[in-house]
Amino acid sequence: MIKGFRYALNKFWPEALSGDLLILSLSIVLAVTSISSVSFLGDRLQTSMKLQASSILGADLVLRSASAIDPNYLELGVANNLDTAETITFLSMIITDEDNLLTSIKTTSESYPLKGELIIADFDGSLIQNSGSPPSGSVWIEPKIAETLSINNLTEISIGNKTFKVDGIIKDFPDRNSSFVGFYPIAIVNINDVSQMGVIQTGSRVIYRNMFSGSKRNLDNFVNDIGEIPADIRLQQADDVGDELGEALRESVTFFNLASLFTVIISVISAMMAVRRYASRNLLHASLMKVFGASKLFILGHQIMQLLLIIFFATLFGLLCGYALQSLIISALQGILTNELPAPSFKPIILGFITSIFVVLATASPYLKILSQTEPIRILRNDFSINISNNLIIYLVALVTMFIFLGILFQDIKLLSYILLVLIFVTAALFAIGKTLIYLLGSIKFSSGIGWKIGLKNIVNRGNESILQIIIFGLSLLFLIVLAETRTDLIDSWSETLEEDTPNYFLFNIQEYDLVNVTSYLLETANFSPSYTPLIRGRLLSAKRAGSDEFSSENLMEREANLTWQESLPKSNKISKGEWWNEESLEAEVSIDAEVADSMNLEIGDELLFSAGGSKFSATVTSFREIEWESFSPNFFFILSPSAGQKLPNSYITSIKISEQSDIMNLFTQRFPTITAVDLAAVIQQIRNTVSSASLAVQYIFLLTLIAGILALVASVFSNRDQRTKETAIMHAIGANRLIIFQSAAAEFFILGILSGFTAIIFAIVLSSIIFSQFLDLQYSPNLLILGLSFAIGVIFIFISGILSIRKTIYTSPIITLRDS
Amino acid sequence: MVFSFNDKLSEAFTVMKTESKIAENTPRHPLKDLILEVKNITKEVNSPEGLLTIVKDINLSVERGKPISLVGPSGSGKTTLLAIMAGLDIPTKGSVKLLGSNITLMNEDQRAQIRAKDVGFVFQSFHLMPRLSALDNVMLPLEIAGDPDAIEKSQIALDQVGLSSRAKNFATQLSGGEKQRVAIARAIVNKPKILFADEPTGNLDQKSSNAVTDLLFSINELINTTLVLVTHDLLLAEKCKDLYELSDGSLL
Ligand SMILES: Nc1ncnc2c1ncn2[C@@H]1O[C@H](COP(=O)(O)OP(=O)(O)OP(=O)(O)O)[C@@H](O)[C@H]1O
Ligand SMILES: [Mg+2]
Repeated sequence: MIKGFRYALNKFWPEALSGDLLILSLSIVLAVTSISSVSFLGDRLQTSMKLQASSILGADLVLRSASAIDPNYLELGVANNLDTAETITFLSMIITDEDNLLTSIKTTSESYPLKGELIIADFDGSLIQNSGSPPSGSVWIEPKIAETLSINNLTEISIGNKTFKVDGIIKDFPDRNSSFVGFYPIAIVNINDVSQMGVIQTGSRVIYRNMFSGSKRNLDNFVNDIGEIPADIRLQQADDVGDELGEALRESVTFFNLASLFTVIISVISAMMAVRRYASRNLLHASLMKVFGASKLFILGHQIMQLLLIIFFATLFGLLCGYALQSLIISALQGILTNELPAPSFKPIILGFITSIFVVLATASPYLKILSQTEPIRILRNDFSINISNNLIIYLVALVTMFIFLGILFQDIKLLSYILLVLIFVTAALFAIGKTLIYLLGSIKFSSGIGWKIGLKNIVNRGNESILQIIIFGLSLLFLIVLAETRTDLIDSWSETLEEDTPNYFLFNIQEYDLVNVTSYLLETANFSPSYTPLIRGRLLSAKRAGSDEFSSENLMEREANLTWQESLPKSNKISKGEWWNEESLEAEVSIDAEVADSMNLEIGDELLFSAGGSKFSATVTSFREIEWESFSPNFFFILSPSAGQKLPNSYITSIKISEQSDIMNLFTQRFPTITAVDLAAVIQQIRNTVSSASLAVQYIFLLTLIAGILALVASVFSNRDQRTKETAIMHAIGANRLIIFQSAAAEFFILGILSGFTAIIFAIVLSSIIFSQFLDLQYSPNLLILGLSFAIGVIFIFISGILSIRKTIYTSPIITLRDS
Repeated sequence: MVFSFNDKLSEAFTVMKTESKIAENTPRHPLKDLILEVKNITKEVNSPEGLLTIVKDINLSVERGKPISLVGPSGSGKTTLLAIMAGLDIPTKGSVKLLGSNITLMNEDQRAQIRAKDVGFVFQSFHLMPRLSALDNVMLPLEIAGDPDAIEKSQIALDQVGLSSRAKNFATQLSGGEKQRVAIARAIVNKPKILFADEPTGNLDQKSSNAVTDLLFSINELINTTLVLVTHDLLLAEKCKDLYELSDGSLL
């Protein structure tokens, strides 16, 4: 065996660069590239998401309440070696000599923020501070406030009873969604000034937040120590916030996993074809070595060493490509990822090696046996045919191991089982189709052109070889089509959230008496007819389980509930449980966001007690909704039925689309000073960036799978090239002209391509619909354009590469061909 | 694996030793130095038409240094017999004593050992590795044996067949006659004590055929090897000291 190793080392490069091992190496490179890039990526994305999540909170852990929080918690945090900070946020007017503006006042302690970045600049735009709080008596404001109130560095403003000096402009701050009404501009004030301002009175809407950061262990200890917390305090941890990160980012990660899984499977297919061809070509070599006295172990040693070398070099190369691809994707995702990314870990490197070992084991093991046990007498009999059927068990075992490995790698047994099932069905179907084709062609007597006839006959003559080719073509096309469909629909669904008429302004606080005027104003100036949603400011007080008599406020965050009432279900909502009410229902009903219901432990049939406009009323929960938050229409956690909501005092909100350049909105605010208009341009731009970044990233990874697919098709076309070459040469020699040879090859590849393409499409529809419904939460309807195009391109590709594979024989003298073989 | 490999080796040697003792103790041809001794060889195979006897009750022996030839019509079992004599195949019945060892009692790897050391082969269809150069092809047996002087020895062998100028050419770039001469160089590069050739001129025209024939017989003397030649070319066969004729699997 050692001798075999040494022999392999000597002979490695010439053999590695020969066609068959090259295709095997490329398959490994592709599998490793895709696994490692996704793993490099996943690693870094995950860490970055975590960072981002904690910066959304401004800390690793936050206690949040609508009433003052017991200071013991902060002390307990310090005792557990955690960093702590504190904020109190409330709405108040900022008043200047000329004007005033309703603002979200965020008061902070010295150590704010614990995570994420606070960037404060002076009026000239140069950076002055990036953590902490302004000194007592100073305020930092968002540019919007400075703009609206025409504030410069000399302006004094007052909030409540206290006057402040404007010290800085807020460029960025981390915990944006911590304020209860995200649409008001922010001002930051020192927390010690709260009492002097005197704006917090009983009944004021205030958010108290205690923030904690530290090592995972200390955090866990802390959570342990605080034990049960009162119902009005909500505990938020960075881990829980992950969900709030862009849907697009999460879906693209799913897509990356899917694509890399497909790439590995396709690579295994092409590796299989490559190994098969390599083995049949090397049977002569191995048998000859046997004749010259090589032992079984020598040959085994030679083959194993050769494969190890290939694994080593191909994996290294694959890792390089994987890292490069990952960098490309990261740079594409830059728009989504705001944080500095952590350095990648070593995990992908180990994974890369394991992957390539599995690819080789799964494909080469049966041939190792065949080659090492070849009988030397083959040389005297000139018999170099390989019969794999005796070794199918090895194949099966190897492939099953491969799937188990993939299962562990992707930790998604469900996805893998579906794919395995589809794989088995497709293979069986393709096998049956191949058999039928051969049977039919075998029994037909052709009377048409001679070249075509020979081609069709060749399909029959090649028998199992043709069936194998149909299977390989079909499988490669199948995975490519599914991925192409997924890719297109994902990108479409992302950009749908940003259709042309996506509203870019929210209008709040529209009173009943303004409705007609606002409508006619918008119609006149912008030719836009708004539709209004009633907004009822209320508060959820308590809930009562159906059948019980007691109202309880347990689990309900004492919360500000913006209510609305609706006759019909809003477009961007979907009922997930229960039923939407009948328009004429006289019952007081309420429909709740499913997630909120879950967090407050509410059930259909519960009775909720609200207060609004100074009175209390109750309504029965009759449905849960899933809300598509990305849609730019007003969304509500709680929707009341008309009979419950109609009589309550309300204002209206609406979203409108106005061309960015016009000054309609400036005139609008002058005309309707009490109406608040919120510009969504920045948010929309943010989402545009997300969508285009995610789309680009998805394209990159799709490209990789495409390359793998092409390689598999090429490997399959070339798998019986030797035989074809010999046959064409013989046909040539016995007088067939080029046209006939061309026609026969064309007919053969055309039929094989059409049949496999057709089967691939049918199963692609099946697999796509499974993936869409089970893994992506998307509606699936077959994309006829993609299906048709993939079919056409697939068939043409097989056809052309098939013709190219025998090109040489068509144009060279048969003597040379026959002599070579 | 290394250990069991060595075990098999020593086992092989034991077999060889005992065999040669038996040979010494029971001299059937006391004056002759037999390099190959075939006793009662029968080979049967399973075929679609049932059990098929390809060769039957063959007895023959080859003296060191005396080339023999085996002739007979196509399908008479020449190749089968050659494969059995060379240890590439095993007989259904009978025994073959090659270079003093009873190879019918050995396993595949033990027979491979003997082939690597003392046996050379030439085939009708050359069987050169198409992607290797002439020199690399000749080196093959030495590389398997792990010979450190493989290159020098192979160059000498190529020189002996008059093809040292074509050493760097790939096998596909050679004519049939040249291919067969490279194959002969490959067969003699390990200085075999016995050289099996199965219709070495079968695929060649008359001229190349003569060249190859001359080469085979001159080499026989040059490196002191014994040629076992299968052919249906009677002229070629008659150049050998002994001529056996095979018909329907039996010697005439
Ligand atoms: N494994 C096998 N199974 C069935 N039949 C076999 C097998 N091996 C050889 N034969 C048959 O045995 C007969 C002898 O074959 P062999 O190759 O030894 O003949 P040969 O004398 O070398 O012929 P040729 O001169 O044509 O090379 C043939 O009829 C052949 O078909
Ligand atoms: Mg023969």
